[in-house]
Amino acid sequence: MLTCDEYITPVTLADAFAAMAAHRGRYRIVAGATDTLPWARQGRAGDVHIPTLIDVAKIPQLRELSVGDKRVRLGAATPIQRFLDNVALARALPCMPRCAVWFADDQIRALATIGGNIVNASPAADATPCLIAHGATAQIASARGQRTMLLRDFVTGPNKTALADGELLIAIECDALRGYGGSFEKVGHRRSLVISLVCLAVLLRLDAEGRRIEDARLGIAGIGPRPERLADVETLLRGAQLGGDLLEQAADMPVDLVASRTRKDYRREVVRGFMLRGLINAAKCAGADPSVLTGHLEAAYA
Amino acid sequence: MPDLRFEATINGRRVSRSAKPHQRLLDFIRDDLNLTGSKEGCGAGECGTCSVFVDGVLMKSCLMPVAKAQGAAIETVEGLAKTGELSVLQKAFHKAGASQCGYCIPGMVMAATAALRSNPFADREEIKERLGGNICRCTGYQKIFDAVELARDVQNGRLPATALIESDTDEAVIGKSVRRIDAPSKVSGRLRYAGDMTTPGMLHVQVLRSSHAHARIVSIDTSAAQAMAGVEGVITSADVPGEDGFGVFVNDQPVMARDKVRYVGEAIAAVAAEDLLIAQRAAAAIKIVYEPLPEIFDPDEAMRPGAPVLHDYAPDNITKHIPIRVGDVEKGFAESDLVVEETYSTQPIEHAYLEPEAGLAYVDHDGVVTVISPDQNITHHRHMLARIIAKPISKVRFIMSPVGGGFGGKEDMIYQGMLALLAMKTQRPVRLVFTREESIVSTAKRHPSRTTLCMGLKRDGRICAFQMKMICDGGAYGLSTEGVMRKAAILAAGPYVIPNVRIDTYGIYTNNTPSGAFRSFGALQTAFATESHLDICAERLGLDAFQIRRTNAMRDGATTHTKARLGSVSLMRTLDALEAASGWESGAPNSRGGTRGDLGRDDNRPPCALGARLASNRKQEAAE
Repeated sequence: MLTCDEYITPVTLADAFAAMAAHRGRYRIVAGATDTLPWARQGRAGDVHIPTLIDVAKIPQLRELSVGDKRVRLGAATPIQRFLDNVALARALPCMPRCAVWFADDQIRALATIGGNIVNASPAADATPCLIAHGATAQIASARGQRTMLLRDFVTGPNKTALADGELLIAIECDALRGYGGSFEKVGHRRSLVISLVCLAVLLRLDAEGRRIEDARLGIAGIGPRPERLADVETLLRGAQLGGDLLEQAADMPVDLVASRTRKDYRREVVRGFMLRGLINAAKCAGADPSVLTGHLEAAYA
Repeated sequence: MPDLRFEATINGRRVSRSAKPHQRLLDFIRDDLNLTGSKEGCGAGECGTCSVFVDGVLMKSCLMPVAKAQGAAIETVEGLAKTGELSVLQKAFHKAGASQCGYCIPGMVMAATAALRSNPFADREEIKERLGGNICRCTGYQKIFDAVELARDVQNGRLPATALIESDTDEAVIGKSVRRIDAPSKVSGRLRYAGDMTTPGMLHVQVLRSSHAHARIVSIDTSAAQAMAGVEGVITSADVPGEDGFGVFVNDQPVMARDKVRYVGEAIAAVAAEDLLIAQRAAAAIKIVYEPLPEIFDPDEAMRPGAPVLHDYAPDNITKHIPIRVGDVEKGFAESDLVVEETYSTQPIEHAYLEPEAGLAYVDHDGVVTVISPDQNITHHRHMLARIIAKPISKVRFIMSPVGGGFGGKEDMIYQGMLALLAMKTQRPVRLVFTREESIVSTAKRHPSRTTLCMGLKRDGRICAFQMKMICDGGAYGLSTEGVMRKAAILAAGPYVIPNVRIDTYGIYTNNTPSGAFRSFGALQTAFATESHLDICAERLGLDAFQIRRTNAMRDGATTHTKARLGSVSLMRTLDALEAASGWESGAPNSRGGTRGDLGRDDNRPPCALGARLASNRKQEAAE
């Protein structure tokens, strides 16, 4: 059970930094709290006493959402459910709706935040590989000022981030990729409330004929200590003609990245299958010419 | 720890009360407001029994600190039928027979309400998806989905309101769908399970459990726990006044570990205190000195000479051995054209009822020790408890509270003894509610099994000889092991005429979690081996899987392997129905080609997928 002496809900960033300074070394930040409460139970952290919980979910800057032509800004306390119910957001971030629909369940998505998913830094976090594929940057603030870094550098390992003492993740900015086809593939034990064993985000933009790949963005998680962007696969795909051989070749490339401590062989097989399925699904959403996706591949993996 | 002032609107009424800063919204609703329609099935956001609306959005109240809901408008299941009139959805759940044990149902009704508020036209796939955060252990979900579809259509006017009304039940009830009379109490959240019950002056109980699988208890020091303010009673095995031992066939289990512990999670001591936090802190302050003993986790190893012994009365660690002998198996094998031997294993399985164990006990005005709990065997337990607490049977009373799922898992008296002792010691009502983790760690599982099966057959598929040896891991205590071994043996050779049969089932003590009753009671383990084996033999003989069973099937008037005469045997009819319903393609089990003709039919269920609402969004976009 989680116990605390004080639960503080600041409504401005300045109040949050003041609370963090006043309770330095004795506080924990919560946003949705959906990771923190189950963590403090028997079999995980057990009974935990944290003197002060600071809930940042009601700070207006952290709730802000703006969808521009080029970039999207997501306040860190944006609930995951917004990727499903905000149409403008769903169009700008084409793989996020499918990621969100596989993320926990409707009720948890209403509480759980994008910032919490990132800062919790689970190697299996669902949203992080999608955002990395969208070229996301993390905006970090403290009482001293602000700094920005690439999201892929922000997550440094399992449950580890680049946040220093006194810092808060306040927002994520990423590329608006309207017109891209997006897919999100995830394997777990059941339909809802699943923790990913492997998850993959794919974004493709095709030419007007739906035959040539103009741009490709891929992010993967669950196969190592931190999410990765698949830059070499992107290089292979960018500018190439869409086709079964190309996709097969791309699918083999990340298999050797699997560095998980458990179920390694299984994950290697999953990665290959997911690459094919993710690429085909993204290509379809991007308006691929049906004749170039070979029937064999489509039947097997879509 | 300064309390916080919590203000909110709950079911339309303003609430302003002090709350603990660490309380979850669920604790506040249940403990402070006594609104117990919201349940705690897991405490970790997995099950959905605690779902409530917060400012119109459904959330899991076990994942929400109460401070987060400050100023919010909260709606619980009690708010749906505030005047006593059930909502359309609640009526539909009643009509469709969607509630069984009922423990998940308030949360399920809330999730269904949210689904239809979000999309009044949601199709079945979208309903499934939107109910994905709620688990039901009894129903298999189909009747729940039926209920939501019925409510949707009534709300949309596609069906008349009369579709929710009770159908005419003047005629005979056999062969009819009969409405459950307890359904309204379940769909409304009004039914109180043991963990929902409170009584004035009630104390809260925390159990201290073993961290060792096998160890001698050198000493238990409860002095620090006893000295804590708010602690009213601490008990150990030293507090048992009578003959300490319970079980189903052999009374080998003490109320709390006596002299030694035999599995991780075994109760050693229990504390009753003014609140749960004090009880937990007191339990943590009990000092136990263990002397580790050799541990044994594999039943085959436990049967070997020299293996560590769990119970003095069973030096060979055998809880029960059931042998069955019919004819002469050696002769049968000699006559066979084919002899096949394989080994099958099954794993321990948790019952996973949505209601974790809970109980409330008190000593009444006449000195009657009374235990209220979801207990599947109260009469037997009443007799055992009388002996354990050294009271005449007239001074012991068991009341069976609604069982929020049992499946055999609530047949053992694993905590009622502690409740009775604490009520006697403190002379106050005491309540114990297990956490989900505690329920999984400490209660019985389905017996894990390892079965070696050797079958001899003629070319036409007739079984000449059947030899099975099944070793089951019974865990640390006997519980229902003897009965499970009996039923496993009795049903092992299936509904087949076999002249030569040799069956041995063994239940073995190990330092694993005890195994106990679980629906089918041993038949699952042996049937899994026998039926898998028949398919393998059919494959070897090039026979159809149905044909090999028909060739061997018992008919009316058959005598079983344990000499029971069967008047009528429905096996042939069952096989006919199964063959038709499954769309079976005749042939040996390995004769199928690359395409299956039985897939994609109307009566098939496709593999699970998500994204039903994304498809409907796309349709919406296309229409724009």
